[in-house]
Amino acid sequence: MSDPLKTRLKQLIVTTLKLEDVTPAELADDEPLIGSGLNLDSIDALELVVTLEKEFGVKIASSEESRQALASIAHLAEFIRARADPARIAG
Amino acid sequence: MSQPLAVRLQASGCLTALGNAVATHSALLRGEVALRARPVLGADGGESVPLALVQGRGFDETAPPNWLPAVRALVATLAGEGWGSARRPVFVTSSNFGVGSLYAYRRHGDAAHLAFGTPHLCVEWLARELGWGANVTTVSHACVSAHLGLLLATRALEAGLAESALVFSFDFISPFVTGGFNALKILNAGFPAPYADRATGSIGLGDGAAFAVLTRDTGDFSITAQSLHNEMHHFTANRADGAGFAACLEPLRGAAAGRRVWLKGHGTGTLEAGKLESAALTAAFPDAPLVAWKGSLGHTLGSCGLVELALASESIRSGHAPGTVGTSTPTFSPAVIVEPFSTQTTDAVVCASNAFGGAHAAFILSHA
Repeated sequence: MSDPLKTRLKQLIVTTLKLEDVTPAELADDEPLIGSGLNLDSIDALELVVTLEKEFGVKIASSEESRQALASIAHLAEFIRARADPARIAG
Repeated sequence: MSQPLAVRLQASGCLTALGNAVATHSALLRGEVALRARPVLGADGGESVPLALVQGRGFDETAPPNWLPAVRALVATLAGEGWGSARRPVFVTSSNFGVGSLYAYRRHGDAAHLAFGTPHLCVEWLARELGWGANVTTVSHACVSAHLGLLLATRALEAGLAESALVFSFDFISPFVTGGFNALKILNAGFPAPYADRATGSIGLGDGAAFAVLTRDTGDFSITAQSLHNEMHHFTANRADGAGFAACLEPLRGAAAGRRVWLKGHGTGTLEAGKLESAALTAAFPDAPLVAWKGSLGHTLGSCGLVELALASESIRSGHAPGTVGTSTPTFSPAVIVEPFSTQTTDAVVCASNAFGGAHAAFILSHA
């Protein structure tokens, strides 16, 4: 059974970054987001971080923490679960 | 591009949160940190981040900008008249000019802010306020802006287009600028520790303004070589192998051959760039001591090259260079010097700066 949070994150990534050649369903949970895999760069990371902070009310403290959180969909979901109000995760 | 012509530095000066060049140099020797935790968005609050403002200046924008008195005080120390005339060009550099004014207009709707909100409007206003003539060129190249101004002034002298040239730089931070760096997460709650090998990087931002008067043959100091290199790799990132840093320094190695140099690095406090920069500097100039001063002053952005030129010349003049204030061990390189040291056994300093977009710049400064 798919994880609703991961599904939501995949949708957010595709929408926020206006990815045209990939659908949310095509994003693997363990696919690296930055530098390889989707080949997102630091500007993409900035856009994603701003979106995630607004969407889930989480605070990402540093660029290093941002990089860790954005390592993959699975890492990102784990980060959100650890930091966000469960009510906001439920959406 | 590199520039082999040696020009003289007839005069230099700067203004930072610690005062003028002499006061700032003395405070750095004492290890003072100018950065203070302040709300990143000024009156609008936000996370507390390390910022260093010129004494007495408010952080939020005013119209006219509240940094004008500080600029006036700095320019009052500049000898000579006729700046901006045909043979005495002015090169004004900044990475931000009055961009905070646009944000202030957006927030408050006061049209008075618009008069300072673009580079050319801001420099035209400044030139009028300071009594400069029409021969004023506006230059911006992110955080190596001041280096580009020095290079253009050098070329004007080399071509015989000027008898002396004034390079003037100013970057006064505003909520717009600090908010942007905060969004990138490189300006965060942590204080900068340049070249420290730690888990989390952070920078500080600071006010800075500075000037340098260049001539062909008059002055106590020489700028004997300059280099500017742009990787053209990415909007924000450097090549991971550090090749861009090395390519910028390569032209200076020959110019420094046989000389005992010390290194004034960029050293903002970010981890990746700090590691690449310190590796490139120590590879190009083995055994040379390396310092950076942004752990105290914060990053003065496009003006840092000129601010630090004034401080480097003060270090040579006094015989003592400040150490890397604010850093902690372990550092990326054993060449990083934490404490002040004597410059009397050295011949020259290599001053390096780096910028978004993989832009790198450096020059060599020595006694004439």
